[in-house]
Amino acid sequence: MLCGANPTEAHPVVGQKILHALKKGTKLIVIDPRKTYLAARADLWLSVRPGGNIPLLCGMLKVIIEEKLYNKDFINQFTEHFEALERYLATEWSVERIERLSGVPWVFIEQAARLYARAEKALILYGLGVTEHRGGTNGVICLANLTLACGHIGRAGTGIMPLRGQNNVQGACDQGTLPYTYPGYQPLTEDTLAKFEEAWGVKLPRQPGLMEEQMYEEALKGNFKGLYIIGYDVAQTQANIAHVWKALSRMELVVVQDIFFPLTGRFAHVVLPAASMLEKEGTVTNGERRIMRVRAAVSPPPEAWPDWKILCELSKRLGYEICYRSPRDIFEEMRFLMPIYAGASYERLDSSEICWPVPEEDHPGTKILYTNGFPRGKASFGIPRHWPPGEEPDKEYPLILITGRRLYHYNCGSMTTHSDGFLEVCPEECIEINPRDALALGIKDGDLVRIISRRGEIEAKAKLSNRVLPGQTFMAFHFKDRLTNILTSEAVDPKTYTPEYKITAVRIQPL
Amino acid sequence: MEITIDGQKFEVKEGITLLEAAKQKGIYIPSLCHLPGRDPSPRPCGLCIVEIEGEPEPVRACETRVRPGLCVSTNTSRLKEIRRQILETLIGRHYGDCKAPCSAACPGGINVQGYIAHIARGEFLAALNLIKEKNPLPLSVGRVCPRFCEPRCRRVLVDQPIAINALKRFVADWALAHGETIPERLPETGKRVAIIGAGPAGLSAAYYLTLYGHQVTIFEAEEEAGGMLRWAIPNFRLPVEILKHEVQSIINLGVKVKYGKRWGRDFNLKTLFEAGFEAAFLAVGSTKERTLDVEGQEEAIPALKFLKMIKKGQSVRVGERVVIIGGGDAAIDTARVCRRLGAEVTLIYPRSRMEMLAHQREIREAEKEGVTLFLMATPLRITRQGSRLEVEVARTILSEPDERGVRRPIPMPGTQRIFKADTVFSAMGQRADTAFRSYGELEARLKTSPGGQIKANPSTQATNIKGVWAGGDFVSGPRTVIQAVAAGRRAAESINLYLCGTKKTSVFVSPRFNFSRGKRLDEVDVSQYQHIPSRPREAMPERDPELRITDCDEVELGYTPEMAIREAKRCLKCGCLGLHKCDFREVLIKEGVSVTNPLKKPRYEIREDHPFINLDLNKCIRCFKCVRVCDYGGIELDIIDLGEGIEEIHLEFTDKCVSCGSCVDVCPTGALTKKAAVVPRARGEGKKINSVCPYCGTGCNIQIIVKSNAILEITADAQRPPNYGSLCVKGRFGFTFYKSKDRLTKPLLREELDEAFREVSWDEALDFVAARIKKIVHQYGPHTFGVLSSSRCTNEENYLAQKLARAIIGTNNVDNCARV
Repeated sequence: MLCGANPTEAHPVVGQKILHALKKGTKLIVIDPRKTYLAARADLWLSVRPGGNIPLLCGMLKVIIEEKLYNKDFINQFTEHFEALERYLATEWSVERIERLSGVPWVFIEQAARLYARAEKALILYGLGVTEHRGGTNGVICLANLTLACGHIGRAGTGIMPLRGQNNVQGACDQGTLPYTYPGYQPLTEDTLAKFEEAWGVKLPRQPGLMEEQMYEEALKGNFKGLYIIGYDVAQTQANIAHVWKALSRMELVVVQDIFFPLTGRFAHVVLPAASMLEKEGTVTNGERRIMRVRAAVSPPPEAWPDWKILCELSKRLGYEICYRSPRDIFEEMRFLMPIYAGASYERLDSSEICWPVPEEDHPGTKILYTNGFPRGKASFGIPRHWPPGEEPDKEYPLILITGRRLYHYNCGSMTTHSDGFLEVCPEECIEINPRDALALGIKDGDLVRIISRRGEIEAKAKLSNRVLPGQTFMAFHFKDRLTNILTSEAVDPKTYTPEYKITAVRIQPL
Repeated sequence: MEITIDGQKFEVKEGITLLEAAKQKGIYIPSLCHLPGRDPSPRPCGLCIVEIEGEPEPVRACETRVRPGLCVSTNTSRLKEIRRQILETLIGRHYGDCKAPCSAACPGGINVQGYIAHIARGEFLAALNLIKEKNPLPLSVGRVCPRFCEPRCRRVLVDQPIAINALKRFVADWALAHGETIPERLPETGKRVAIIGAGPAGLSAAYYLTLYGHQVTIFEAEEEAGGMLRWAIPNFRLPVEILKHEVQSIINLGVKVKYGKRWGRDFNLKTLFEAGFEAAFLAVGSTKERTLDVEGQEEAIPALKFLKMIKKGQSVRVGERVVIIGGGDAAIDTARVCRRLGAEVTLIYPRSRMEMLAHQREIREAEKEGVTLFLMATPLRITRQGSRLEVEVARTILSEPDERGVRRPIPMPGTQRIFKADTVFSAMGQRADTAFRSYGELEARLKTSPGGQIKANPSTQATNIKGVWAGGDFVSGPRTVIQAVAAGRRAAESINLYLCGTKKTSVFVSPRFNFSRGKRLDEVDVSQYQHIPSRPREAMPERDPELRITDCDEVELGYTPEMAIREAKRCLKCGCLGLHKCDFREVLIKEGVSVTNPLKKPRYEIREDHPFINLDLNKCIRCFKCVRVCDYGGIELDIIDLGEGIEEIHLEFTDKCVSCGSCVDVCPTGALTKKAAVVPRARGEGKKINSVCPYCGTGCNIQIIVKSNAILEITADAQRPPNYGSLCVKGRFGFTFYKSKDRLTKPLLREELDEAFREVSWDEALDFVAARIKKIVHQYGPHTFGVLSSSRCTNEENYLAQKLARAIIGTNNVDNCARV
C-alpha cells in the first residue's frame, strides 16, 4: 500500500522496484489525490480528498474491525489499547462521515481494507503526502494502527516505511540534529546528558531546544538572533517563505554553507563554499537504516571545504578545539556514544552496508525491526483524531494547490539545474490544472497564469493534465524564479511542526 | 544435478539455463543478447549455441534448461564456424571508429579525443592530467611536437583539422598560470633506478618511475636538464624558463639529478649496479653530427654546436651573410636564429621543399622571417677568401632510380654559382656514436644494430643486458620529443614490472579488431559530415614576423581559454564512446574473428536529440536489450527487412522515456552512449569508486568512474543493495553539477544585509562568524542561536553540527531538513 507518495518521480528506483513487483503479481493500493504513474497502474487507487488521509485510514480500520479481519493473536501478544481504538472508531467514525471527509466511496475503502488485511504479507510505504499535513502525525498513527491490527510487521515483506525524501535525512536524524534527541535517539535525560558531558568534557544545556519553525516564530518576536545553516536552502524550500524571509531578516547573524549560492544567501551575512557529496568522505544512512560509505571521487573546487572541516575550524575559534583528522575519527566517536551504530566500523562498511541497530562489531545489523516484539514492551494503538486542513477551498480561493516533486529536479534544484540535460527536459516550473478547470477559467496549455493564495502570488505556465482532479492543482518548488512556497500554507502539524505543504487554497487568473 | 561441459563435470542447480550454469562455473559461452531476468530477445543473437550429446543440431544455451547427465560442448569447430558467420554478418552492418584516428596516430599513445573533450567542457586540469598519463612534458611537447595526429584529423573533411597541439599547449600553459594538481605517488618501494641523460626520454622515465614509488637518480653530463629541448631548440620556439619549469615539476616529485656526471668518465653500468642501483635506463640522445662531404667542409660550423652556444647564452657573431646547408629542424632553427642576429640567410637544400625534413609549418615561419630558400641545389666546395667564405653551389637534378628505386640529387653541370658568406653552417643530421662500447665491460656487451644504434625491444625498451634499458634518440636515432617521451614511459613501465617482480599481462590490442570509418582520409565517406557547418580552426596568435626577428621571445602566443574551448568544440568525436562497454568487440576478439569487411559508409545519422543519450544506429547489433530492460516503454525498436540481407532499423525514444539510462548501460556497443561520458576509454580504464547517490533517501549505491580527477560516468553495482544496479535519471546523469562554473569557490562576507558581499579568506570569514556567535551568546544567551543541518551532510557532519550547537554554543536549538 502506497500512501501519499509518488516514488516513480521522487524515489524513482523504489518506483521501479514496485513496477517489478507488480509484474510478478503483487497487488498495489495507492492512496493519493493525484493519478500518479503508479496510481494508474494500481489494483486499487483511492483518490483521497486532500486532507482526508485520517478519515480514509480510519475507515479501513473500521472495516477491518467490523469484519474481524485483524490478527487477533498478534494483537493479544504484542499490542495494547486495541479496545480503545475499537470504541473510538465505532463512536467517532460513521460511514457517512468517512465518505464525506475522505472523498472516497465506502465500497473502495472496504475493498482496500480487505486487500490489505487478508494479504499474507503487506507493506506500507508512505511519503510526505501523509506527513505534510496538519494531521500528519495522526495520519502516520493511522498507518501504524493498520500494521498492528493486521500483524503486518516484523516479517520480511511487511512493515511500514517512510520514503525518506533526501539522501541522508535519515542519517541527519540518527545523529541527533533534532532539538529533542541526542545522537542515536537517546532522549534528553540526565543519564544521557551525563554520558555526553563526560565524553565531551563540557556542561550541556538542559533547556529544551526549538524546532526550526519555532526559531522563526521566536525571531519574529525578537527572541532569536542567529542561525547557522548547512546545506539547506530554507528561503526557497520552507513553506510560506515570506514568513521565513521576515524571520531571517530579523537575525543578527545568518551563516550558510552550500555548494551553490542559495536563496537563503540573500538573508545571510556569511556564505561558505562547501564540498559536495561527490567530493567528501563519510557515511550516510538511507531510509532502510542502511549505513553506507560515501567516498570522494574528485577533489572539491580549490577553496571549497567539506562541511566537517568547516565545523572543526569554527569550533576551534569558538574556544573548543575538536581535532578530527578525518571523518573516520568522528565516526569512531559516534560509535562510542551511539549504541545503535556501535558495531559499524569503516572497515566493515568498506565491504558491506549495515542496517542499524548494530550494537556489536560481530552483530550482523538489523534489516527487519520488531521481529520479536517491541522495545517498549507492547505497542500501543493510537487514537488518531482528525485535524482538518489549515485552509479549505472557498469562493475566493476555489482551488487546492498540492505541492510535490518532479522526476527531473530535486528539492531546491541546485544540483539538477546545474547538471547537463535537466533543464532541457524540464526547463521551468509550471502549474498542473485539470482540463475541466482550465476550460472554465479560459486557460490553454502553456498559458502564463497568476496563482494567488492568501499569502502571495506568483506566475507560472499552465500545464493541462488529468493527473490532477478537478478542483486540484499541482506544483513543485525546484526553481528560484517560480517560488511556489510564496503561496504555501502557514498551517503546521502541532507536534512535529511540519508545514502543510500539501494543501493551499488558491485562485488562478489567466494573464 | 551433475552435467558435463567440455569434458568437465559440474554440480549445478535445477531450473537454471545452460548459459547461467556455464557462467556460474566460469565457462565462457559468447552471447550478445542475453539479459538476466528479462524476456528473451525477439531476435536472439544465436552466439550461445552449444552442442548436446545425442542431439543432431546445436541448441541455444540461453533457452536450454539443465537436466541431469547433460553432456555439452561449447567450442567445437562447427560451433565456431556458425559463430563466425553470425559475427561476420554483424561486422558487415557495423560502422564507426573504435579508436579516434588522432589518438591512434599519437606515438605517445595520448587519449587525444579525451583531452579535447575535457577542454570543450572547460575542464582544463582534467585534460592536462589525461595528457600527463602519457606525456609528462606537455609544456614543451605542446610547443615543438610535429603533430602526427593533426594530418589524420577527420575534421579536414569539413574544413580544417583540429589544432590539437595548440590545445595541448593551452592546457599546459593554463596550469602553469593557475596551478595544477600534484600527481598521486604510490608508496615508496625502496628500489633505486639510474637514468643516464636528462633529456625528454630520461625525464619521462623518471616521472613515471617516481610515481610508481621508485627512487630515481638522473645522471646528466651537462649542467642543466632538458637534452635537445635545452640545447638545440631556440628560445623563440621553446623559452628556457618554460622548460625549466617543466623539468623542475618533475624533479619536485622527488627525482635526484646529478649534473656534470658523464657516462664513461664518471661512472659506468657496473659501478652503478655496484652502487645499489637495480636498473639503469640509457637515454643519452644522439648528438654526434654528420659532416659535409665536400671540399672545405671544415669551414662549416655544425648547426647543433652553434645552437648550443646560443642556448648557453654565448655571444656568437655570424656576420652579415649566412649560408646554411641542410633541410632539417636544426637547419631551419639555425636559419631563424641567424635572422635574429641580423644576418641575411640563405638555406641550401638539394631536393624540393616538400622533401625537407623540417616541419612545413616551421619552413613557412622561417620564410616569413626572411629566410631565403635555395632549393634543388647542392654545395660543391667551400673556400675561404680572406675573412669571408665562398660556397660554390650547383643546381641538382634527380638521378635515375638506383637498385632500391631511390633517385638521388646530383649536381647539374654548368649550373655553378658562388654564394658569398661570412658564416657557413652544416646541418646534416646526426649519426650513431658507439664510443660507449669502451666505457666498461657491460657496455661492451650491449648489442647494436648495423647502423651502430643500440638495440632495444620496441615495446619494453629493454636491452640485451639484464637490468639495462635504453630509449630515445640513443636507440632510434634523431626522432621527435614525443617519441622519446613515449620510449621513456615504456621503459618506466617495463622497469617497474621488473623491479616489482611481476610479468606484464599482455593486453590484446590489435588493429584486427578495430573498426574504422576509413584508414586513410580518402576512404572516409564524406556524406556524414555534410550537415556540419564549416568553422575554420582558431588561428594561433603569433607575433609579427618583422617584430619577432628583433628579439628571441616566443613567436606563438597560445590560445585564450575561449579560443581553446571554441577550437575543442570543433572535434567530431570520431572514437567510440561505448568502447569500455563494447561486448561486441570482446566477442570478436575472443572468437578471433577479425574486422575484414565492415560497412564503408554510414546508413544512419547520429542522433543527439535526447537530452542525455546519443544514438548511433550504425553500431546497433539488434539485440533488443535496450527495449527489454526498459520498464517504462521508453523505446520503440522496429527492424524492417528490406530483403537481400538489408535491414532498416527504426529506434525512437517515446514520450514514456524517463531518461533513467538503463538502456545505455546494457547496450553492448556504442549504439547508445551517454552525452556526459565524453572521454573514450578502454574496458576497465578509470578508477571505480563506490559511493552513494547524492539525491533521494533511497540511497542507491553508485559506482563513480573517475579519471584525472574528473567523473566520466556513474553506474551502479548490480550485486549490491538497495538498488541492485538500477539508477534513475538523477543518479546516472545528475552529477555534472560538481564542475559547474556557478559553484561557490570563495567565502563571502558582509557585515550587514544591505551591503554587498565581498570575497574573503577562510580565516576572515570564520573569525567573523565566531566573533558574532560569541557576541550573540554573550548578549542574549545561547538559546537565541540555532543550527540547521541537513541531508546534504554526512552522518559525521550532522553529528558535528549538533555537537557544535550543544557542546560549544550551549543550546539544543538544532534541527534538520526532515520536514521538506
